[in-house]
Amino acid sequence: MKKAVFATIFTLILATSLVKNSTKGIEDKIFMVYENIRPLKSELGDVLLEYNYLSSPDKLTQYQTQYFEKDLIKIDITKIKKLTEKQNKIEISNFIKKTNDE
Amino acid sequence: MSDKKNNVFLEEYENKFLYKKSKTNLNIEFNRIAFIFFIFLVISIIYSIQLLHLGSSKILNEVKPLIIKKNYRADIIDRNGNYLVKTVSSIDIGINPIEVIDKKKLLINLQLIFPYKDYIDISNKLNKGKYFYLEKKISADNYEKIMSLGDKSIKSEEKLTRIYPQKNLFSHIIGQIDDDNKGISGLEKSFDEKLKQLKKPLQLTLDTDIQFLIRKELLRFQNIFEAKGSAAILMNVNNGEILSMVSLPDFNLNKRETIKDVNYINRITKGTYELGSVFKTFTIASGINEGLIEPDTEFLDSKKSIRCGKKHSIEEYDDKMPSDLTVEQILIKSGNIGSVRIVRKIGIEKHKSFLKTIGILDKIDFDIGEVGKPQSIDWYEGCKLETIAFGHGITTTILQLTKGYAVIANGGYDIKPTIIKRHSDEQDKKVKVLKNDVSKKMNSMLRKVVSEGTAKLVNVKGYQVGGKTGTAEQVNNSIYSNIKINTLASIFPTDKPKYALVIMLESTKNNKEYVYEYRDGSGFKLKGSPRNTAGWTSVEAAGKIIDKIGPILATKYEEN
Repeated sequence: MKKAVFATIFTLILATSLVKNSTKGIEDKIFMVYENIRPLKSELGDVLLEYNYLSSPDKLTQYQTQYFEKDLIKIDITKIKKLTEKQNKIEISNFIKKTNDE
Repeated sequence: MSDKKNNVFLEEYENKFLYKKSKTNLNIEFNRIAFIFFIFLVISIIYSIQLLHLGSSKILNEVKPLIIKKNYRADIIDRNGNYLVKTVSSIDIGINPIEVIDKKKLLINLQLIFPYKDYIDISNKLNKGKYFYLEKKISADNYEKIMSLGDKSIKSEEKLTRIYPQKNLFSHIIGQIDDDNKGISGLEKSFDEKLKQLKKPLQLTLDTDIQFLIRKELLRFQNIFEAKGSAAILMNVNNGEILSMVSLPDFNLNKRETIKDVNYINRITKGTYELGSVFKTFTIASGINEGLIEPDTEFLDSKKSIRCGKKHSIEEYDDKMPSDLTVEQILIKSGNIGSVRIVRKIGIEKHKSFLKTIGILDKIDFDIGEVGKPQSIDWYEGCKLETIAFGHGITTTILQLTKGYAVIANGGYDIKPTIIKRHSDEQDKKVKVLKNDVSKKMNSMLRKVVSEGTAKLVNVKGYQVGGKTGTAEQVNNSIYSNIKINTLASIFPTDKPKYALVIMLESTKNNKEYVYEYRDGSGFKLKGSPRNTAGWTSVEAAGKIIDKIGPILATKYEEN
């Protein structure tokens, strides 16, 4: 009985210290990862900002007039079609339903 | 003797040892160990409970008040995650001349790093002995070079800079901050504390692409009709989310100018206007809501002019207005006298209560601080009720007008206009404020105003646009002037409304060169504006705007 109690306590202490040790290791790793993510986040933010600026509608319109001869055309909603796949067959239908008052 | 040797003596062996339970300290030691073991057990149970508790509880980070960082301000993004505002930290380099040891050496070193600076001016500043900035928002390379000089007189200051990649596009909404990271207008002001605390970017309901297209068209028509200013708002009628809000003229936020000209006010939220006939929709909706009229209710033998009190008379704007009209025809033909007869049936209290319910009369609670307050009305003065029936003698903001149309169109549910994106679990419960059939009847009538009435130029194929025009004279010092406020309040599609679009052009002029293309399928074209009314200005602008944004709304927001 005495030996069993001692063994249990020893095992508990050993297990606790092992768990704590590994937890500390994981905590260190998490900290490292967080620290590594921080500059990446900042870099991503800067790249996104650049992307948002370069792909902003204002810039895209500017590029369009600068590099293409043809003007942009508006889409007639009544000419847009909808493709639906049903039993391996593609059905084509009008995107919007026509009403009587049009 | 020999006998003695051979004898074996047998003696009975008596074991005198008796096993007894020890009565020493052993029992006490065992109790101690058991006690320690028990303590360990209790501690481990407490730890386990704590771990289980932490594991099962939600992260409370959002609820906890966060520490406000000095040089931090959250970014602002649109509904698609595009940056509208981005915070970038920058470094300014200053020089304290008192700490300069060798002026000549410092100037030579600086010349190597910044070869294009005016060194006569810098030398003069050094002689004056006052702290000055050598370079603001220095690049990383130059920062490294200048700090490697190791001169004590060179000071670096970390500053916060807001970058606006969309330039003018959201200027009235976002607003500006001062040098101390304090919001001074727009969202920057009203969300000042929140922006300093938020960990994630603040997401808005606005769509950059739609905002760009609306602004581009509005600017075009502002120039065509030589308007002093203009405004456009696109709102989801079902949840109050604003997809676009443009007020012109606007300004480039990156220039950080101090705007003092009153023409730069936010015409959607701050400017309050008499908007004219767009209010006839409210008069008729109020009558239907009270069960006093139906779309086919007839008003017969209406005169061209009616007396109101002793001094005033109210007239039709058009002499050809028939004297017998149904309610629907009153709206389609925009009849003044018919509207007056309807409002007299409703009465002051009921009509006032209706306008209050749809949010026209009181100052609106909105996400930005620049909100105008509609003028208070003395309902019992002269013929106030009668003039309010056709939108005179009553002021409101474009934002409130849009809300009013949205409530009428969406089935009669109250909405809170917003530019801040909320998750589905944060949405308010829908409260019905109008009777069941009001929306259905009103939407059908508004559709006819577009297909048969004064707003034909916005009858864009495929979108079932419904709406009402309003041409009002601007009031200057309590006197009506010739300056026109031309408005179109529209909703679409009328069979199941999703969006409310309101366009307002202020102080327009006729354009003799502009060519109108009729939308009735005839291919007819008309050169020059026949009249300076909403039907020939704001309606045309709205038609062109729906042409551009319609496909995006129909495809991108199909499920919304």
